[in-house]
Amino acid sequence: MKRLKLPPWLVLLLPAILILSAVVLIPLVLSLYSSFTSYRLTRPDSIFNWVGLFNYEKAVTDAKFWAAFGRTVLLLTVALNLEMLLGLGLALMVSKVTHGQRLLRTMMMFPMMFSPILVGFQFKFIFNDNVGLVNNALQSLGITDRAIPWLVDADLAMFSIIFAEVWTATSVFGILILAGLYAIPRDPLEAAKVDGCTSWQSFRYVTLPFLMPFIYIAMAIRSLDVARAYDIVQVMTNGGPARRTELLWTLIGRTGYVDARMGYANAMGYISIFLAIFFTVYFFKKLTKSRKELGMGA
Amino acid sequence: MKTFLSGASCAVLATAAVTTIVAVTGIAQAGEFDGITIEAKLIGGQQYEALYARIPEWEAATGAKVDIISKKNHFELDKEFKSDIAARTTDWCVGSNHSSFASQYASLYTDLNGFIGKDVVDEFVQANIKAATFDGKLVMLPRAQFDVSALYYQKDLYEDAARAKAFEAKYGYPLAVPETWAQVKDQAIFFADPPNFYGTQYAGKDEAIVGRYYEMVVAEGGQLFNDDFSPAFNSDAGKRALQWFVDLYDAGAVPAGTTNYLWDDLGNGFASGTIALNLDWPGWAGFFNDPTASKVAGNVGVAPAPKGSAGIRTGWSGFHGFSVTEDCAHKEAAASLVEFLTNENSQKLESSAGPLPSRTAVWDYISEQAKDDPYRAEVLAAFKETAATAFAVPPTSLWIEATNLIYPELQAAILGDKTVDEALADAAEAVDDLMQEEGVY
Repeated sequence: MKRLKLPPWLVLLLPAILILSAVVLIPLVLSLYSSFTSYRLTRPDSIFNWVGLFNYEKAVTDAKFWAAFGRTVLLLTVALNLEMLLGLGLALMVSKVTHGQRLLRTMMMFPMMFSPILVGFQFKFIFNDNVGLVNNALQSLGITDRAIPWLVDADLAMFSIIFAEVWTATSVFGILILAGLYAIPRDPLEAAKVDGCTSWQSFRYVTLPFLMPFIYIAMAIRSLDVARAYDIVQVMTNGGPARRTELLWTLIGRTGYVDARMGYANAMGYISIFLAIFFTVYFFKKLTKSRKELGMGA
Repeated sequence: MKTFLSGASCAVLATAAVTTIVAVTGIAQAGEFDGITIEAKLIGGQQYEALYARIPEWEAATGAKVDIISKKNHFELDKEFKSDIAARTTDWCVGSNHSSFASQYASLYTDLNGFIGKDVVDEFVQANIKAATFDGKLVMLPRAQFDVSALYYQKDLYEDAARAKAFEAKYGYPLAVPETWAQVKDQAIFFADPPNFYGTQYAGKDEAIVGRYYEMVVAEGGQLFNDDFSPAFNSDAGKRALQWFVDLYDAGAVPAGTTNYLWDDLGNGFASGTIALNLDWPGWAGFFNDPTASKVAGNVGVAPAPKGSAGIRTGWSGFHGFSVTEDCAHKEAAASLVEFLTNENSQKLESSAGPLPSRTAVWDYISEQAKDDPYRAEVLAAFKETAATAFAVPPTSLWIEATNLIYPELQAAILGDKTVDEALADAAEAVDDLMQEEGVY
């Protein structure tokens, strides 16, 4: 009997292929398949009940789904830009410090060390209308005599969530941009100084272009994070009240695990993935372009 | 002689041991379940631990072992059970259950009627047994964690003559502990002095606000669902019920953040002394009157839940219980454990800390015990009166899912995003779609 002999490269790759299949491919295929069924967690047999595109049609014709989609894009846009601006400011300030820079860098990373669930609880308390720190401070200082409903008001609730997101993740930008600042060659900056550039001109036309690849990398990483935002929002508002802070993943999480409608939740999940893909492709294109401008890429 | 004494001692000890075993288990025989391990998924929390501390007694009596493999709150257990059903990993044996969730687990739990004697089942409050029975299957045995809400209030608000006079001048009737929800509304608005003091508060999200709305609809003479589970709340009674929540919010009589509040927020809010009237569960009674935990300790009154305009008392009720899985390999042993955890001694133990029992005899026992404690006697009287007309959630497996469709619409009306009519029409349409999609009708 002739034994099947696999080429050495395939034998070497086989463990990786098997592991990737088990932990990535199979769940992906299963969840994609279940999005075409009426699968409910509480009725396992329903996974064989093929409903075609019903779940997808239901999602794309559901105004609540698109409202959550829009809110997620809004959160992504505002949070990412704020984080970038604040992170840039932080990095520029820390880079100028001559003593204790290592300590400052460590302190900058503190917010990243907290679990998002903990951050959610922390800001839920801070923004509580009755016993929260913010309202108590505002009332004690005589700025207001009413209980501001931070987590209820249509605008303030979204602001509070963005605030928590920005607080926890600005340091991601700060650290990456700081790494970029350390990597900038001194020659162009000194040449700009010799040519009589102002500080702003040096920053705008020399420093910033060098930093852009780092900024886009941070943007790509954080866009994936924010597009999947769940923990902080779940704890602070659970998507409410009256769906005012409902994001894609709070809606999908509730549909899948509380309502047990996993087929429908997976269909919404697959549509939502396009959002993450869009932003990732967008930022990678920007990254490639900025690297080309610096003569770093092909 | 020494041998005789030793033998006699052994005999006495053995007799004592057997007596203890019989007393502990009621029906289980010594060593009946030797070598069996019962895996259990139980609700976690300090208030439930005293009962679990009794489990070693059952283990000693029966020879079985109990391995608690999960301890979470009911919302987390619910997700875990659903994942277990999906993954078909349901061969553990005993699970904590709740009347609001039980209808979803039709395939998960076995019918206890085959394992628990009818004489034992008859010893429970029959309304609870009815709410624990689905399609003729007794899916859980209730523990002493029966929940219905009564009205807690700050007593001194009713002892100030000037305040009483001002109230009567404004509303045309004497200020007294409210007996109707219309009076609660008047008084809540009258007492409110935001942001320092509020007339009342209510749970504002998830199943909690739908439960509160549900009982108010019933008190207004309506119902949440028709007999075929089509939505029935978009009615005059349903609109009156929702308007009550909206009016209080608009008047600033409830905290502005109430639509984000759940039970802990409400309990801590009343204990902080900033709330006049608070419809809440029996488990808070001790906490509210504990000077180390509550600013209103010594000033707490408890009255039966008020009535709606139909003369019906609100009384959304629920209870905790224990169930045995269909896939359990040792159902007799598991049922014996469930029976032990819900027997008279177990319920006396749990009730001694405040929760309400679900056995008739234990109700009598705790009433007798509370005779010399005026506060405890007042609490029990109020809850007993409310429990007499209490009602469980509608028996549909889609209850939780329906509440997830209803509560954002209730919030939208309360916050002014929609009118009461629009919100209820949208909620009714969403629930109707759900029921039709699931083939309920």
